[in-house]
Amino acid sequence: MEVQQAASQVQVMGIDAGGTMTDTFFVRADGRFVVGKAQSNPGDESLAIFNSSQDALAHWGREVDDVYPELVTCVYSGTAMLNRILMRKGLDVGLICNRGFEQIHSMGRALQSYLGYALEDRIHLNTHRYDEPLVPVSRTRGVTERTDVQGKVVIPLREDEVRQATRELVEAGSQAIVICLLQSHKNEVSEQRARDVVKDELKKLKVDVPVFASVDYYPSRKESHRMNTTILEAYGAEPSRQTLKKVSDRFKKHGAKFDLRVMATHGGTISWKAKELARTIVSGPIGGVIGSKLLGEYLGDENIACSDIGGTSFDVALITKGSFAIKSDPDMARLVLSLPLVAMDSVGAGAGSFVRLDPYSKSIKLGPDSAGYRVGTCWPESGLDTVSVSDCHVVLGYLNPDNFLGGAIKLDVQRARDHIKAQIADPLGLSVEDAAAGVIELLDLTLSEYLRANISAKGYNPAEFTCFSYGGAGPVHTYGYTEGVGFKDVVVPAWAAGFSAFGCACADFEYRYDKSVDLGVAQFAADADKAAACASLQEAWEELAVKVIDEFVINGYKPEDVLLILGYKMQYMGQLNDLEIVSPVSTAATAADWDQIIDAFENTYGRVYANSARSPELGFSITGAILRGMVVTQKPVLPEDPDCGPTPPKEAYLGTRPFYRHKRWVEAALWKMESLKAGNHIVGPAIIESDATTFVVPDGFETTVDKHRLFHLKEVK
Amino acid sequence: MSAYTNEQVAHLVEGSLDWETTFRMLSMPKDNSRFEQYLKALQAKVTFPDKIVLPLGPHLYIVQSAKTKQWVTMCDCGHEFGDYRENWKLNAAIYVRDTEEAMTEVYPKLMAPDTQWQVYREYYCPTCGTMHDVEAPTPWYPVIHDFEPDIEAFYKEWVGLPVPEKAA
Repeated sequence: MEVQQAASQVQVMGIDAGGTMTDTFFVRADGRFVVGKAQSNPGDESLAIFNSSQDALAHWGREVDDVYPELVTCVYSGTAMLNRILMRKGLDVGLICNRGFEQIHSMGRALQSYLGYALEDRIHLNTHRYDEPLVPVSRTRGVTERTDVQGKVVIPLREDEVRQATRELVEAGSQAIVICLLQSHKNEVSEQRARDVVKDELKKLKVDVPVFASVDYYPSRKESHRMNTTILEAYGAEPSRQTLKKVSDRFKKHGAKFDLRVMATHGGTISWKAKELARTIVSGPIGGVIGSKLLGEYLGDENIACSDIGGTSFDVALITKGSFAIKSDPDMARLVLSLPLVAMDSVGAGAGSFVRLDPYSKSIKLGPDSAGYRVGTCWPESGLDTVSVSDCHVVLGYLNPDNFLGGAIKLDVQRARDHIKAQIADPLGLSVEDAAAGVIELLDLTLSEYLRANISAKGYNPAEFTCFSYGGAGPVHTYGYTEGVGFKDVVVPAWAAGFSAFGCACADFEYRYDKSVDLGVAQFAADADKAAACASLQEAWEELAVKVIDEFVINGYKPEDVLLILGYKMQYMGQLNDLEIVSPVSTAATAADWDQIIDAFENTYGRVYANSARSPELGFSITGAILRGMVVTQKPVLPEDPDCGPTPPKEAYLGTRPFYRHKRWVEAALWKMESLKAGNHIVGPAIIESDATTFVVPDGFETTVDKHRLFHLKEVK
Repeated sequence: MSAYTNEQVAHLVEGSLDWETTFRMLSMPKDNSRFEQYLKALQAKVTFPDKIVLPLGPHLYIVQSAKTKQWVTMCDCGHEFGDYRENWKLNAAIYVRDTEEAMTEVYPKLMAPDTQWQVYREYYCPTCGTMHDVEAPTPWYPVIHDFEPDIEAFYKEWVGLPVPEKAA
């Protein structure tokens, strides 16, 4: 996108391998960046990444073979793992659980029958459906053992049953064996013993099959979550590792010296060699949140509403006081899991959503399905005959029909008009323009209500937030869904289309391990009780530290290079929600340490809720120990451009285009995004175009480009 | 609007439609032509020449008699249960489970209702033996007339189709 004479080293690469497009993002040492796009290739992702890189680097007139060796760091995010789970194309896993609980995994949790559904479908029982389990009952074996909720072994493990189960599972063709026993997060002894017995039996059978015990991976409470996550690890992680190895190998072939990292659900990146790869199941959307956090640090914004609008969905995440929230038992691929996940909320309405009329109420319905890469009826080759939101955009002059995706496909305005007329406008007795404008207004209203509700439901005021808008379709709608919400500032990065890939490149090389603990201490407990609680927490941290350091050692780091960040989850005893706190103490041992731990929690609680809501008289519980370890990595730097004054350069002006809004056609000025300079000020109606995205500034709005190539959008009062 | 082919609707009736399409049908408002297509799929499954006006159950319909143009309730096999405004159950073969012994044929012992309080009444086609309905009322309760459809209003006001001819 940017062409500059001074050749500077290309340092950072971010990859977002989505379902339809693979985006790459390259950043030079001077902060200049390029975005590349290529069609995804599920058969060989490495090829799509290579093509996308070529597309990006062509902007700089450079070659892959020449740039890859220069790169210092590269982060991958993609949907391959998720798709493998959704398509049920993983390994044949065998499962060992407690006798009598063999059906638990197939039954699943009731809510798994409607996870991922729109609200209308959740309350519509006919649509509920259980997916095929990852492990069938035929490859599940129960063994006699019972550990109670306090972690006391009530019935010892019958080892001969474990051996028998192992033999049967191997016989049944298991390619991996998962062991998940009740309460093993409380007392790991039986499960570890079972693991060793399974390994021993496999050795006797001379069979080389990996064994996954839940305590070694995700020792968290909630049995379904723990079992699902451990199974996911066995089922999908190993094949994903092969995919990543292929990607890494292709990089090496082209001279790359960096070690490929993968975006993980907790918001850090991990090596493709990491032991726990299940946590890379969702990564793309998280990139945007990480990128927003970094931008926020540049701009001095602590509170950010991150909004990502793509073809099918609208994702919202909040950054408050410089940090994003982590959800510890999220759901993905219609499975409940115990993985730390950057908290995000989604609504199934996007720029590609289909538009239909309810034949009875005559109301417009958006989605939940979408045209995806097929854009809409405006693209004759799409084979579609249902109107999409993009059709409305094309008809109203929001999008340039001759420059969609940089002119890669040509859109047919008349075809879109005809479909809107027949399906929406005529049945409603409206003109095509008013019908299309109604659709856009409905979408904007849906999104802005969703955004507003997300902020105020968590007890915040939008006036304290800066809204970042990105995603391929984000800048088209930014004005629409931020109008009237009252944000402090609204920011659209010039690289909105590649923002997730950018965000991935911004993420730390960070491992995070969690362990459930149950520590309860009264408000005025004796010092000995406080010290005892500290000792338990310290023990959990030390256990996690071994795991974290092990991961870095795999990648050739020395233990002393690793910066460890201790954390814990705490709540007032008997309350339901815990808060994640970064520990104020580097070791926990004494009653004084405990008091500091409590103070940190109470301060956070007062900030998140209200000081008056604090309830120390209930006593305190620690529900989980958290350990994050990170090493220093190269991150993208933002461009710093000199201020060129408010008047845009002549070469940026591309003419005008008729644009319809508020029941009238106006001539909107067209600008080329790449040619605008820092300091330029544009008053709507205007449309700022680039290959990958279109930024709409209607009348009543104005925007200014800052030195980092961020557009600030304002309502003109 | 989403339009579905007659073949898809036939699969829907058979229960052999793929889940993605079924799910979309369930979540979306019903398309205008569905009832017509549905009738067509049902008509293709039955062997009788009479025109289906409204389905009442998996094997039971209100049909327009090919001979008389009267609307009657009819089984898959062509057995007539009489005028559509009358309770067809009164013309069915009835089996009442009102003893513990009869109940244990369908439920494990002690897991069936006490027949002093509740009985099962099963309604069968006298010709082909298809079970059309089961009621679970108290023993003394009269035969339940499930409903009397307002077919004229349904055709005219709901699905916007011409009302089939009806002889009085």
